[in-house]
Amino acid sequence: MIYGDKQTGIIVTGATGKQGAFHITLINEYARAVGGRGVVAGVSPGKGGQEIIGVPVYNSIRDSLREQDASAAIIFVPASAAGDSIMEAASAGLSLVVAITEHIPVHDSMKAISFAKLNDCSVIGPNCPGLLSPGEVKMGIMPVHLSSRGNIGVISRSGTLTYEIVDQLTRAGLGQSTIVGIGGDPVIGQTFADVLKKFEEDEQTRAVVLIGEVGGSLEEEGARSTDLPVAAYIAGVSAPPEKRMGHAGAIIEGGEGDARSKIARLKAMGVPVASRPSEVPSLIRKLI
Amino acid sequence: MKLLEYEAKAVFKEHGIPIPLGHIIKSPEEFSGISGKLPSDFVMKAQVDVGGRGKAGGILMADRTKGEKIARELFAKTIRGIPVREILIEERLEIVHEYYASIAVDRSSKQALILFTESGGVDIETLARENPDAIRRASIPLLMNRIPPFMMRTLLGSAPKELGPVIQNLYRVFLSRDALLAEINPLVTTPDGPFAADAKLIIDDNALGRQGITQNRDLTDREREAERHGFSYVELSGSIGVIGNGAGLTMATLDLIEYYHGKAANFLDVGGGADQERVMHAVRLVAADPSVKVIVVNLLGGITRCDDVARGIISADINQPVIVRLAGTNEDEGQKILAGHGYRMLDSMEAAVRAAVEAVQ
Repeated sequence: MIYGDKQTGIIVTGATGKQGAFHITLINEYARAVGGRGVVAGVSPGKGGQEIIGVPVYNSIRDSLREQDASAAIIFVPASAAGDSIMEAASAGLSLVVAITEHIPVHDSMKAISFAKLNDCSVIGPNCPGLLSPGEVKMGIMPVHLSSRGNIGVISRSGTLTYEIVDQLTRAGLGQSTIVGIGGDPVIGQTFADVLKKFEEDEQTRAVVLIGEVGGSLEEEGARSTDLPVAAYIAGVSAPPEKRMGHAGAIIEGGEGDARSKIARLKAMGVPVASRPSEVPSLIRKLI
Repeated sequence: MKLLEYEAKAVFKEHGIPIPLGHIIKSPEEFSGISGKLPSDFVMKAQVDVGGRGKAGGILMADRTKGEKIARELFAKTIRGIPVREILIEERLEIVHEYYASIAVDRSSKQALILFTESGGVDIETLARENPDAIRRASIPLLMNRIPPFMMRTLLGSAPKELGPVIQNLYRVFLSRDALLAEINPLVTTPDGPFAADAKLIIDDNALGRQGITQNRDLTDREREAERHGFSYVELSGSIGVIGNGAGLTMATLDLIEYYHGKAANFLDVGGGADQERVMHAVRLVAADPSVKVIVVNLLGGITRCDDVARGIISADINQPVIVRLAGTNEDEGQKILAGHGYRMLDSMEAAVRAAVEAVQ
């Protein structure tokens, strides 16, 4: 497992919101099932002293750390306050922030991610389903019933597409070490390259699936950075050109970001690329 | 959302970037009202959001006698398919040299990327391919509120120092307007100093609210209706309607349709929480497109209630067949409800897509 284990104490910000409360329940159900600690504190400014689903609520992350032992935070607060919440977690000394929130203004994300880095805090997301190490720890919103424990790492920019491919892996008897949803936003904290570096140090992981999509070049940068055996699936081959996610970075590199050129570059590096999600298990099997 | 040239220039001006004197007209008749304020020679620029506007005949030279006639011609035109609704009339600049400056969100560095070249006025994409060394670049973390002097020196090289404040102000525009891209091409020098001869500004859609923009103009009517329901929707040219949850899974569904030689009519991501009501609206929205002959619904989630989704599909009450792949809780009940109304539910996205492609052949 990477980023966390059974011993990891988790703080949830936005705990008293609908999403926060719902997922605290699911995360702690999973923690109980695997014998982990799960969510030890919730944070919602102005609601300190309350309790939600058996978890104490505090006004701030610093307040919660006075009474609880935690090293990671999961962010469920609305987009307008999520960047602030990431910085609060980093400033309080947490080493990992998982930002689930979607629609955060990209400038807020860029500032929060820079700020977290100055505080030696890793950010997963934003706009991500979080991570799941089957049998160990769940820090996010991934459904657990499709996964199984094993030695395949999964890194993905998507949510449900990850569940689809994890389901295919599980059905093929290929269990997972850790599944990391790195997020669908243009600017994200942990990239394919960062997560691959963690997988390299993880004894459990023998091969990694990269699930990418149109836009940017993080998939290629990740594949280039690692010695681990990797296979990939890239969504968006049929995405129409005029609707492509355009930005100056992609324009400058000339053709960067569309699925076909991304796939061509991965293949040129020797990375097998599945043309359908259902092909991923057989590609992985050849690697191990 | 992309701002039009004159809107971007107004923002640039607010932040101290010199722009040419200009007037906007919304009809040929408005020309006479401003002609007294114009110099003898000027430029008329169609305000349309397309690349290669000049080559497509959207930028014309004029003078006071010919101005109204040229305005009529321009208003009658479509530039690369876009009708001309506004014309920017600007003084002609005495250009000494053309430069290029832009600041953009850069995914790889997670910072802002500033680009500057002394070969302005050209297509930057082409220049990057053919002569990448001509472009100078610098990454700046957004936690910095000014471009530091060393960075500015690196960017400018031997270019005139008077361009420094323009680029500094462009960074202020970038920061204060939640920009994804702020670009001046060309950035020109004249005997009267530097000017932003053209202006491009793209605002982050996730920041429109705090930027005081209430409606995203870049969307079509159907896309706007989809947005009201919280869906992501893109219209395409095929006959298979697609509804999925999650951008990646929905994109993969479109790709699979293409893999089996079918053509998707749309991309619709219902987002999180696919309940009865949302599914009903999604199915109706897709079915309202007359080119849709069959709809494939691909929903996968831990907490999606299949019986709710099935009821949503039934209550949409549409004419086209719907092929459903559903994974979540209460799968059996969902299947029963759909079967009772003659709909097919299949247990993999692959099977669902193949059935949909066969249905339109």
